Amino acid sequence: MILQIISAFFATFFFAVLFNVSKKELIYCGLVGAIGWLIYLFIFKLSNSIIFSNFISALSISIMSRILAKLRKMPISIFLIPGIIPLVPGTGMYKTMYAMLNQNFEEAAFYGAQSLQIAGVIAIAIIFIASFDTLSHKRTE
Amino acid sequence: MNFKLLLKFAMQAGEIMLRSGAETYRVEDTIMRILSVYDLEIIEVFVTPTGIITTIDDQKIEMTTKLKRIKSRSIRLDKVALVNDLSRKYVEGQISLKDAIEELKIIDKTPPYHPLIIISATSFTSAFFTIVFGGNLRDCLISLSIGIILGIIQRLFINLQVSRFLTDIICGFLIGFSALLLTTIIPLTNLDYIIIGSIIPLVPGVAITNAIRDTIEGNLLSGISRGIEALFIAISIATGVGIILKLWFHF
Repeated sequence: MILQIISAFFATFFFAVLFNVSKKELIYCGLVGAIGWLIYLFIFKLSNSIIFSNFISALSISIMSRILAKLRKMPISIFLIPGIIPLVPGTGMYKTMYAMLNQNFEEAAFYGAQSLQIAGVIAIAIIFIASFDTLSHKRTE
Repeated sequence: MNFKLLLKFAMQAGEIMLRSGAETYRVEDTIMRILSVYDLEIIEVFVTPTGIITTIDDQKIEMTTKLKRIKSRSIRLDKVALVNDLSRKYVEGQISLKDAIEELKIIDKTPPYHPLIIISATSFTSAFFTIVFGGNLRDCLISLSIGIILGIIQRLFINLQVSRFLTDIICGFLIGFSALLLTTIIPLTNLDYIIIGSIIPLVPGVAITNAIRDTIEGNLLSGISRGIEALFIAISIATGVGIILKLWFHF
């Protein structure tokens, strides 16, 4: 499990390099990814629900990115994009495709629906935090 | 005050941001803020992922409209941050318009990471994500080598200007093929983890996140188009991987 979290750090770090994030911010990107994955694993152990743990993890990643964006005076996307990547339902989509290839449509529907749910809760988590953002914008203006 | 020059600066700043993968609403916001420094009567900015239209009008000046079409895009989040910073400095009055335009030119020429760094980052991304998703050390090493191939192929296709979707189909195919080949030769490996980890560098992270953020900010048009872009990229990757899996298990 510790190995997974360390890997999540480096995975997010190098993913940020692919998007040309400047050198100074790379470590923060890695941290967001690692903490996000730690929260995911932790909540998953507690609740045993993939959807719920994705939601909580995406929520905390959005909050961390928001705080870092304020502190480092950077656009939020620099931390949010790499940080959220480990949660993207790649596994679910792969399993959906695999089941479809084998004409196993029952399984395909299950994994497909699960991937959609995960994508949905991640979107809602990002929207949730971003809405607070828009709110505070309008108040200061 | 030379309003033409101001408009030029605002448009160029917006163009660089949009080309580098900024959210559409951020581009609109930046152009708006730059132009709002002088109390102009009318400022209208309309940005979609493929173009920018801006109009300014006031009693003192002639109405001016500028249109800029964005054709090619490459993800350069460093440039987004730099332009964002520059526009903030300009709006706060820390830098003159002339200097800001000069600065913008320098920002636009910022070199990306060296191709070798990008290729190794691709392979490390694949390798580490394989572990994150549950693979063992052998899987990780296989992903590392697949990642190197993937990085080189991607580089090559970018230089040849092959379309993103074709690139993704071919890359998915190659990932599937090398994963199948290597897992057949090397025992105690997990095909699933290797493939899932290796396709991560292809995942359209920017399109996905921007689609969500643009939609919430009310930029519905760009939200939809970015969402469709992400969907088609995902389908391309799945097609590539699917074809080779089907062929492999068939023969």
